[in-house]
Amino acid sequence: MTESVFRETTAEPRTQSVPLAHLSVELGHLYMEDFEAGPERLRAHFTEVRPWVEAARAAATARAGGKRARVSTCFLIDDYFTRFSTPAEVVPTLLAEAERAGLTIDYLARESGCAVTGKIPVAESVAARIVESPPPGSHGLRPPAAQTGWLANGERSPVARAPQAMKRAVGWQPPHETAARRHSVFLDVELWSDDDGDRTWSCPFLAAVWQLARLGLLRNEGEAVLTPQPHTATAGFPDRWDDLPTLLKLNDRADPFAAYRTCSVLPTRFLPVEHAVRVILDQIEVDPGALAQVADRSGKERTAVPDSVADRISYVYYAGL
Amino acid sequence: MAPRQSTPRTALSCGEVRTSLLPARQALDIRSAAGLLALRADERVLLSERPGLYARSPATLTGVDCPLPSANGARVRAVGTVTAHAALTEGRVLQTSAHCSLPATGPDQRRPWGEYLVRPGVVEPLGKLPHEAVARGVLDGPRRGDLDVGLIADGLLTRLLRHPLLDQRPPFRSRPTRLRWAALPAAPGEGPSLERFTLAEDELRTVRLRVPEDTAAADLAALCNDLALHDWLLTNVVRMLDGIRLGAPSAEDPGAAVRALRPAVDHLLHLWMPGARVTRELAALWGPLEERPGFTRQWQAMVQRIRDQLTLHTVQAVHREAEPAP
Repeated sequence: MTESVFRETTAEPRTQSVPLAHLSVELGHLYMEDFEAGPERLRAHFTEVRPWVEAARAAATARAGGKRARVSTCFLIDDYFTRFSTPAEVVPTLLAEAERAGLTIDYLARESGCAVTGKIPVAESVAARIVESPPPGSHGLRPPAAQTGWLANGERSPVARAPQAMKRAVGWQPPHETAARRHSVFLDVELWSDDDGDRTWSCPFLAAVWQLARLGLLRNEGEAVLTPQPHTATAGFPDRWDDLPTLLKLNDRADPFAAYRTCSVLPTRFLPVEHAVRVILDQIEVDPGALAQVADRSGKERTAVPDSVADRISYVYYAGL
Repeated sequence: MAPRQSTPRTALSCGEVRTSLLPARQALDIRSAAGLLALRADERVLLSERPGLYARSPATLTGVDCPLPSANGARVRAVGTVTAHAALTEGRVLQTSAHCSLPATGPDQRRPWGEYLVRPGVVEPLGKLPHEAVARGVLDGPRRGDLDVGLIADGLLTRLLRHPLLDQRPPFRSRPTRLRWAALPAAPGEGPSLERFTLAEDELRTVRLRVPEDTAAADLAALCNDLALHDWLLTNVVRMLDGIRLGAPSAEDPGAAVRALRPAVDHLLHLWMPGARVTRELAALWGPLEERPGFTRQWQAMVQRIRDQLTLHTVQAVHREAEPAP
């Protein structure tokens, strides 16, 4: 077909592309209690993480067919649920302990950036992209009674009602996981809570947003969201968390932040949260333009990327801590 | 599970369009139109000013897992997502449309949901798709419990009609229409063709198409929106002309015809632009409709009638003023 002579840019969708690595490795999350436990806790964590990071890197190289795989590392600090200390105090300790274990943190992110970055309500936008998995029998009517602020991997138990006169009470009915293999592992995730008009996003929901950011799949009106800001060594770190960019590039020579796949090395206690992350990611319709860019570029590089977004993320859980 | 081919062959595309008058006294300007159609905070409303004001919402998805309608009673289960979006033409005519494409075959079992979400607007059968029977089933109307894309278009329309920008005071009485469409693959080497356009009862229209396999469902939906828009214009202007008693003794109420016809002049006559937002290949499908019954021919005849009526009334009014009082 011959192209039309006339074009109108406001009439056409556009999607900004982001640079992509092969793998984004998350070296950990830092919560207040971890920090309060002192630098020994961080040291122990990074010592546990180190061999798995090397394994993840080796696996990425193998997947890239022996060529150099682009791998970037990142670390997430919680400044959303609790505010503690200052960047000036926390970040240098963190970097020193990572270095002592032989690890380099390429990118540092603040968890509150997954809720709001600049003026962009990132979490809210992602929540609006949830397309609930339809239980069998969904034929086009609105999805059955979505429980506001909750997302499940199947059908909930019917609500028990007080028995009416002359009617017998209906017995308990089990919930059902839609993708169950014979037996269900039913999970119902709280996405947020509202407190006097203030919405607090749940840890699994922000973690799902964090995964989308690492997969290069977040957009706002077609523009990339959570783009890394460079850090100049001379500038030091600020005294207020809000003065720290939501995503900071600490290593000049780092491979791109976003990647085809992600791997997170975490203590086992994060397992329930990360199960919830999978349930959420499995029901988010990500920006089709961003998805197409990843498919296009991985195709040109002959790198296989799983279809499903939830299958692009992986974990290593280590015991203890 | 084996990796899927990135673009499974489409054996059937189908959809439904709702067309109605925007219930607002004033037509919306382009900014308000963008406000009305902002179904998502993170996605732009597409705005176009040539050859007329036109705004289109981002697409929304609805998950489905249900039997497909079929004319031969086969109950083929299908799983996937239906795409829906809304469009506003000249700030006046609101359309919501839902559509999906169905590949010729699908897996034996439902896949993990995330795999459906990366192919928005695709509904996959479990097993083989009896596409001819399903196409007939779609056009005949689904039975209760079958996939019903019309419900999805309806749901979006209901949601938009509650928008605070709308004062619920439409400038004239109008009739909404529904257009249901199904597109089957054309024979190899054949171009697209319009097999049938049917005016059924209850303002329902059905369109049956044959298209080359690589035709994008979004382009088909754009064609069907265009057909629905112009059919709605014809339907409503015919109705307006029906409602007035032409040639009745004008002394009774000389202004009646003018009042009845004025909304057409104010709101509708400038909207007629068949094929303006349709790809070149598919715009050619207007051809047979223009030949017989001749959509544009009918439109022009009506426009001429309306203008003649208004001229007559002007002449009469001048004449009455000029007449000396008895």
